[in-house]
Amino acid sequence: MRARPALSDIVDSHQVIVICGTGGVGKTTVSAALALGAALRGKRTLVMTIDPAKRLANALGIEGHLNEVTPINLDGLPEQQGRPRGQLDAVMLDSKRTWDEVVQRFSRDAETRDRILNNPYYQRAAGTLAGSQEYMAMEKLLQLHRSGDYDLIVLDTPPTRNAIDFLEAPSRMIAILQEGILRWLIPGEGRFSSARAGIILFGKGQQALFRLFERFTGAEVLTGIAEFMGAFSNLLDGMRSRASEVLSLLQSEQVAFVLVASPRRLALAEAGHFHERLGQGGVSVRGLVLNRVRPPLDAGAQTRPMDAEAEGLTRRSDDAEWNALVERVWATYQGERRRQLAEAQVADELERQFGRGLAWVELPEKEGAIHDLETLTALLPHLQ
Amino acid sequence: MGRQVKRDSLPGYTPGTAQGSGWEVLLSKAPMSPIGDHRIVIVLGKGGVGKSVVAGALGLQAANSGQKTLIAEMNGQETQATLWERPHVGYEGRTLCEGLDAVSITPAAAVEEYLVRALKFRALYDLVFRNRYIEPLMNGILGLSDLCSIGKVMDLEWHRRSGAFGPDSQGPYRHDLIVVDAPATGHGLAMLRSPQAMMEITRVGPLFQNAKLIRDLICDHEKCSVVLVTLPEELPVMETIEAAAVLRDQLQIKVAGVIVNAMPADQPSPDPKRWEELQRVADASGGHAAAAVESVRRAERRRRRAEKLVALLERELNLPLLELPELNHHPLGQTSLGELAGILETWT
Repeated sequence: MRARPALSDIVDSHQVIVICGTGGVGKTTVSAALALGAALRGKRTLVMTIDPAKRLANALGIEGHLNEVTPINLDGLPEQQGRPRGQLDAVMLDSKRTWDEVVQRFSRDAETRDRILNNPYYQRAAGTLAGSQEYMAMEKLLQLHRSGDYDLIVLDTPPTRNAIDFLEAPSRMIAILQEGILRWLIPGEGRFSSARAGIILFGKGQQALFRLFERFTGAEVLTGIAEFMGAFSNLLDGMRSRASEVLSLLQSEQVAFVLVASPRRLALAEAGHFHERLGQGGVSVRGLVLNRVRPPLDAGAQTRPMDAEAEGLTRRSDDAEWNALVERVWATYQGERRRQLAEAQVADELERQFGRGLAWVELPEKEGAIHDLETLTALLPHLQ
Repeated sequence: MGRQVKRDSLPGYTPGTAQGSGWEVLLSKAPMSPIGDHRIVIVLGKGGVGKSVVAGALGLQAANSGQKTLIAEMNGQETQATLWERPHVGYEGRTLCEGLDAVSITPAAAVEEYLVRALKFRALYDLVFRNRYIEPLMNGILGLSDLCSIGKVMDLEWHRRSGAFGPDSQGPYRHDLIVVDAPATGHGLAMLRSPQAMMEITRVGPLFQNAKLIRDLICDHEKCSVVLVTLPEELPVMETIEAAAVLRDQLQIKVAGVIVNAMPADQPSPDPKRWEELQRVADASGGHAAAAVESVRRAERRRRRAEKLVALLERELNLPLLELPELNHHPLGQTSLGELAGILETWT
């Protein structure tokens, strides 16, 4: 195999590691393991997830939620590479709370802030506006990165089908808010600057459109939305410049992306798509973790032909019980081998297409769940 | 009159959600599948557990038993078309086999249909919503995508064979059963929550009224239920237990049962003496024989872990549970669906 950079070197030489991949490939576990490894090598490390299923807390062996930055107790875990242990904190993104922080930061005055925070449509938009979660993940990343409290932040990304969504979603979300609000609320070229938002401000064109909306929302709903949009329009310039700051951070040398993939047929196309799109987004993919690879069964037997008789599993003319046992064992083995061969083909193909210059790591499938620091630590030797 | 039985001894009973007196129920015919005579079954589970295959098999089984059935696919991936080896089914729908139709509900098409109907004129819709900023903004602030997608299922439920349509129309239904192939758990639950969420923010008006109709339908335990699908693996099982709690406690939606998909084959313990003998042969031979013995041990361990997780599901959920075997057909297609439908037939 070609010489490759070690994954641990890539982790140690960057300030932010972004873990991406499609849903269900084990991003959260890989994030937690990489962060743990770095902490044990002496780094002040934070791992951040957006996973709502409390999976990170489970993997780190702690009870309950992680909505606050939570220190993980590393006592009793082995030091790595002879360096003193660092620190590991974990946090789960609370999208709603981060939105509230954004509103607080960018509101001109207390009145604007309260008008937004108390508006039911604000709360709705915070939860459902496309790209909102991605924006908040980036916002939080920038906050924590700037705090200077950490040598390394490992970010577990939302399970988007498309990697580039994570990079583009924030600016798209802001464009939608900005343009949408401009078109709806501001007659002609004028800037929206009134302290009070409401239907009285609209020009004739807007009034006609609002009457139209009323048909399916009703007047009260519409007034609420207009109020929200009016107040919110003041925040957008601040949010926009913030989003471009994050994007340039993600495209900088301080940040490395690591792709997590599964060795199943379907995953090949997905991983390829991710890799390509991330490249187009101007970020550098530096590593690939192939997760849950079936450990090989037959080291040393690969070159021998698959022949039960030749391997000593001989049928006996007078022993049906024995023959049934041999047949079952052989059939199970062949099924397992077929699955392994299929996986190996996917891995080879993945490596051929995208492996050049990447740190490449294969994590064997574990029997039993990764549910505490001990089982997580067992992954570390594979993640060097 | 049939037998009267204590309701909480029945499979499929969800505590705290019974309608009417809640204590007694008629059992006219025995035995019935956990889905019973529901009109809508929502198939929900974590990404990659095989929701679409289970939805396809449920649809086929219902069609085989004489029910005119529709599979409503919600994730826009046209998985049913692939499974059934058919061209795209699309928003307009397509017949998959005798008695079984499918439709693919994409959020954009559902929102468009709803708005065109609400605004009365397509030209108005085109003018206002065919705008790459306005549409997502309204959609986002109101959460229309999820609401309209699940609303479309309600529309489909309303359709009569005569072509009549609406909550009060009469006559036999166009489809006796609608199987919803829902998005992955997180998004699926958000979708099921969307009518209630819309009611909470609007409180009044046409949108509120529409949301209430949808909410009342999906919370109607006589008409609509969820089937949770999982793999016998740690994470999907934990997520299934969490989802069941959310459905029952927060959304008041009935959970009819749990399907454990891709259950590893049972590994009967061989006679210890014969097994020892086989091991001796394998040890002497090494190579493939030793690896074959190891593969059986591995399969046994996998089976035992899966059994433990099934036991955990039974203990935690107390719901009717069905295991579907791990299939070795690649790619999965109509043969697999037929095989699984046959097993679903036995689910009581």
